[in-house]
Amino acid sequence: MYSEKISEEFKKHGIEIGDRISIKDSEGSNEGMLMPRPDVSKSDIIIIKRDDGYNIGIKYGKGTKLKRVSGKQHAAPEKRDSAKPQKGLPKVTLLYTGGTIGSKLDYVSGGVKALTKAEELLAEVPELGNIAELEVKQIMSVFSEDMTHMEWKEIAEAAAEAINNGSKGVIVTHGTDTMHYTASALSFMLHGLNAPVILTGAQRSSDRGSSDAFMNLICSAYAAGNSDIAEVVICMHADSSDKECMLIRGTKARKMHTSRRDAFRPVNNSAIAYVSINGSIRYNSAYRKTTSLKEKVAVKSSFETKVALLNTHPNSSPEMLDFLISKGYRGIILEGTGLGQIPINTKHSGYNWRSALKRAIDAGMVVGMTSQCLYGRVNPRVYSTARELADLGVIYCEDMLPETAYVKLGFLLGNYGKEDAEKLLSKDLSGEITARSETEWKSDI
Amino acid sequence: MAFDYKELGFKCGLEIHQRLDTDTKLFCRCATYADTEEPVASIERYQRAVAGETGHVDRSTSFESSRGREFRYRIFRKTTCLVDIDEEPPHHASQEALETALKIAAYLETKVPDEIEPMRKEVVDGSNPSAFQRSMMVGYDGRLHFGKSSIEIPSIFLEEESSGIEDAKGELAIYRTDRLGVPLIEIDTSPAISNPKEAKEIAMQIGLLLRLSGRVQRGIGSIRQDVNVSIKRGTRVEIKGVQELDRMDSIIEREVERQVNLVEIADELKKRKAHVGKASDLTHLFKGTESQIIGNGIKENGVVLGVRLAMFKGLIGREINEGKRLGTEISDYAKKGGVKGIIHGDESMEKYKISAKELKDLEKELKLSKDDSFILIAAGKHMAEKAMEYAILRAELSMQGVPPETRATEPNSDTTRFMRPLPGGSRMYPETDILPIAPDKDAYMRMIKNRLSPEEIRKNLEADIGNRQLAEQMLWSYNYQSYLFIRENTKAQPSIIASILLEKFTELRRKGIAVDDIGNEALLEIFESYAKERITKPGIEELLKLVPNSKAEVDNYIKGKNLVRLTGREVEKLVKDNKGASAEETRNRLMAKYRLNVDGAELNSAIRKIFGE
Repeated sequence: MYSEKISEEFKKHGIEIGDRISIKDSEGSNEGMLMPRPDVSKSDIIIIKRDDGYNIGIKYGKGTKLKRVSGKQHAAPEKRDSAKPQKGLPKVTLLYTGGTIGSKLDYVSGGVKALTKAEELLAEVPELGNIAELEVKQIMSVFSEDMTHMEWKEIAEAAAEAINNGSKGVIVTHGTDTMHYTASALSFMLHGLNAPVILTGAQRSSDRGSSDAFMNLICSAYAAGNSDIAEVVICMHADSSDKECMLIRGTKARKMHTSRRDAFRPVNNSAIAYVSINGSIRYNSAYRKTTSLKEKVAVKSSFETKVALLNTHPNSSPEMLDFLISKGYRGIILEGTGLGQIPINTKHSGYNWRSALKRAIDAGMVVGMTSQCLYGRVNPRVYSTARELADLGVIYCEDMLPETAYVKLGFLLGNYGKEDAEKLLSKDLSGEITARSETEWKSDI
Repeated sequence: MAFDYKELGFKCGLEIHQRLDTDTKLFCRCATYADTEEPVASIERYQRAVAGETGHVDRSTSFESSRGREFRYRIFRKTTCLVDIDEEPPHHASQEALETALKIAAYLETKVPDEIEPMRKEVVDGSNPSAFQRSMMVGYDGRLHFGKSSIEIPSIFLEEESSGIEDAKGELAIYRTDRLGVPLIEIDTSPAISNPKEAKEIAMQIGLLLRLSGRVQRGIGSIRQDVNVSIKRGTRVEIKGVQELDRMDSIIEREVERQVNLVEIADELKKRKAHVGKASDLTHLFKGTESQIIGNGIKENGVVLGVRLAMFKGLIGREINEGKRLGTEISDYAKKGGVKGIIHGDESMEKYKISAKELKDLEKELKLSKDDSFILIAAGKHMAEKAMEYAILRAELSMQGVPPETRATEPNSDTTRFMRPLPGGSRMYPETDILPIAPDKDAYMRMIKNRLSPEEIRKNLEADIGNRQLAEQMLWSYNYQSYLFIRENTKAQPSIIASILLEKFTELRRKGIAVDDIGNEALLEIFESYAKERITKPGIEELLKLVPNSKAEVDNYIKGKNLVRLTGREVEKLVKDNKGASAEETRNRLMAKYRLNVDGAELNSAIRKIFGE
C-alpha cells in the first residue's frame, strides 16, 4: 500500500496500479509499469517494473515529477486445460479449505494469499484427471492458524456428505501448520468411516515450479481413489525428494519442521503406507480397512472449547491453572516433562503446582498427562512424582501426542459426560493410542 | 567469410557473469568455495512451468517443463543447506556481496535504485532447485569507457549462481549444489557493439574492472560471457558460456554466418511455398529392417514416426556453418525429446541401411513428391512423439528465418548448438520472502568519488612495484587480488611479490603445478615467512611447488621439508665447518648443499668475513 501522500499524487495524475508511468527526479528519469507497494517497506518508495521485467524502487521526494504514459496492458492469460472429470475412474471429492497449497503471491501484501478458486490450482495439475473422477468443492478459504473447531465441523460434515453420496475417497487440502489438529478432529468426529479421508497441503506455494503441492495432490488422489484405508490420514512428502508420499494416521501425525516438505512425521507409529508419484501404494503397517457394509458415515462434531493445552517448564507458574479454573475450564491436557511429571514437590511455593492441581480436580476438571518429549509413552509408575499425580486423579494418556489428546478431550467433553470422557481419554478410539511400542528398527544385520 | 556488419544491421550485446569471492553465498550462510569433497546425499525433484506475474507461461519455461525431466541434486556437507535445496526460505542478502556489487557499479557510473527489489526469474531446466533464480537490479544507466570509445551499460544485477551440471542423460539431469547460490554479478552492455573485435575488447575491459573490485573468484567457469547477436533480417540469439575470450570474435562471426544462411533458406522456402506435414506412424514399414538405427529404436515396442517436409528437398542438407546443416538444427531440437538423432530425406539412406523398398514405401505412405523431403525418428513411443513434436517445430520455424534461441558453444569449434527457446519477459516476479533492500547511497556516492580509473591504478602499481611491465601485467592478472592482499598484510617487497605472482606462477603453471589452487592464507604465510627471514627466495618456490592449502601446512612444510633459512652466526658456522681451499670453492660447495637455506648475499658476506678478502 502506498502512503496517503503518494496515493494522492497518483490520483492527481490519473495514475493507477498497472499503468505505465514515468518518474523524473534529479538523478534522471525512469519509465515502467507501476507496481503495488508491499505494505512491509518504507512508504516513500514507488516501485516500477522496467521493460526487462525487473522491479526497482524510486524515492518519491519534493522534486519528483510523475506522469502517466499509458494505461494498463491487459495480457490475456493463456487458457490451460484443467482436470476434466473422466468417467470410469474412481470418484473422489476434493474439499478445498485454503492454505499454502492453494496460494499465490499477493503483490499487495508481499506475502502469499489463498486462492479463491480451487480450479486455478487444479489447472496446474492436469494429471489428476487421469487418476480419479474428481469433484472439487471449495468449502472455505482459511489459513491454517485461523482454523477453529467450527471449521473442523464443517469439513467433517462435507467429508461425510461426499462419502455418503458415493465418493470412493475424500481429499481435504489444508494449511499445514494445524493440519494434524484437523486430522485428529476428523478422526474422532467421523463415525462408521468406510473410506479414505486424505488431508494434504504444501510447504511451498503452488505458484512456484518446485512446489511440493503437485506431488502431494497426485499421491493423495491415488490414495483416495485406490486405497482400502478406512481412516483419516495425512499425505505429504516422505522425504525431500519428489518420489513418494507417506500416509500418516491422522491421530499420530505431527508437523516436525517449519519449512521442509517432509515436515510431517508419524510419532510413536509407523507410516500406514507410502504412495509413489506413479501411483503404487506400499502398505507398511496395520490400518482399518474398508468393508462392503453400506452404512452411512455419521458426524459427531460437538466440541467443548473450555479445554486447554498447557506446557510446564522450569519456573512455570500454577497461576495459569488457577486462571483456567476461574474461567470455568472443564478439561486440560498437560504437556509434562519426561515420562509425565510436573513440579509438585518443589519447596518454592510459587512454582509448586500441587494445590492448584487439587483445586482443578476438585472443581471437576478432567486433567490428562502427555509428554513434551512427544516420542514415547507417559508412565505414572516409574517416579514417585508421577505416582502422586495419578493418585490425585491425573489421567495418563499413554503414547498419545499432546495435540491429539487436546482435540480428543475437547471432543469427549463435547459429546459425552465427564465420567465417560475420563474413561475414554486413555482408551484407544481412533488409533491415537497404540498398545505396542513399535519402532522403525534400523540394523546392519 | 568477411561481412559488412553495418550493411547486415549487425547488433551485438554482452552479458558478463562473474562469481564473487565472498565468505558466504548470497542468500544463505554456506561457504562459497567449490567443494572438493564427495557428495553426502542426493535428492530427486521435478519441476513444472507455472504462470508468472502477468499470467503468462513463458515459452522457454514451458518448453523445459514439457520435457518432464527428473532432476537429481548432489548435496555437500559444507556447501549445501536447506535454503539451497528449496527446503527453507532465503536468509537476508550477503552484505559483502552487495558492497562488492556497488563497487563494480561505481566503476561503471551506474545509477542505483533507491530501493533494490529482489526478484525471482523462473528457470525450470533444473539448474535451480527452487525453479527460479533470485536476482536483483543493483545498477542501471551506466557507461563503460574503453580506449577512446564508450558503450552504455543498461544494467547490473546481483544474483544467485545456478547449480553446476554434472551429467545429463535423456530424462535425468544431475546437478551439484555446491556452487549454487554463490553471488554472481551480471553486467549487460547495450546492443551497440559494432563488430566482433569490439565485442572482445569490451569483454576484456569489463573483466578487468571486475578483477579490480578485488573480490572475484578465479578459475574455470568463474567468469562467463553470454553474447547476444542479431542481424537485421535475423533474430536475437543468445550464445551462452563463451568462456575463452580468444574465441569470442570468431564465435560471433559464425553466428552471423548462421543467421545469414538461415534467412536465405527461409527466403527460398517461402518462394517454393514449402510447408510441414503431420507426423504419421510408419512402424509397419520397417518390420524386419536391416537398419540398425531404426531396429534399435523399435526394439522394445518402439515406433518409427515420419513427417513430410513439402518442397524442402535439398535445403535440409544445406550447410549453414562449417559441418552444420539445417538438418543439424532440426536434430538438435529432436534431441531435447531424448532421442539420439533423426534421419532426414537429404541424407543418403544407404548410410542407415534403409532399403530401396523401405524408402519407396515410405515415400508412398508420406505422399512425397520429388521436391519433398522428410524426417524419420525411431524410438520408444513417448520419446519419439516428443522428439517429433520438437523436430516439426524447428522445421516450421525454418520458414520464418532465425528462431529466437538460447544456444551453447561447442567445445571444439566456434559454432553453437540449440539449448532452449529464448526466454521472454514473462518469467519475472517479486521474491516476497526477502524484504526490499535500501542501499547506502551516500556510501555509493563516495565510491564513485574515490574510484580510480584502470590507468590510475596501473600508475600506482608501477610506483609500488617499480617496474612498468610488471605493473601492466598485474593489472590484467587474476592475481591482482592476491597481490593487494599480500601487499597489505606483509612487509615483503612489492617487486618480489609481483614477480613471484606473475613470472614465477606462469613458469610453475607451465610445469603443471596447480599454483592457482594455493589459497590467500597460505600465500600470505609464505611471503610473511620470507619477509621475516624464515625462508629464502628459492624457498618460496619450493613451497609453491608443494601447493599448500593453509597457514599450518606452510609451517609444516618449512619444518618438514628442511626449508628453514640459516642466518647470521649459523651461516658463519657453516662457512667455517665447510671451509675449502678457496672462497670460490667454499661458496660453490655450500650453495650446492644449502641453496634453499642460505641467502646468497648473506653467504657472500660471511665468506668475505672469514676468508678476509
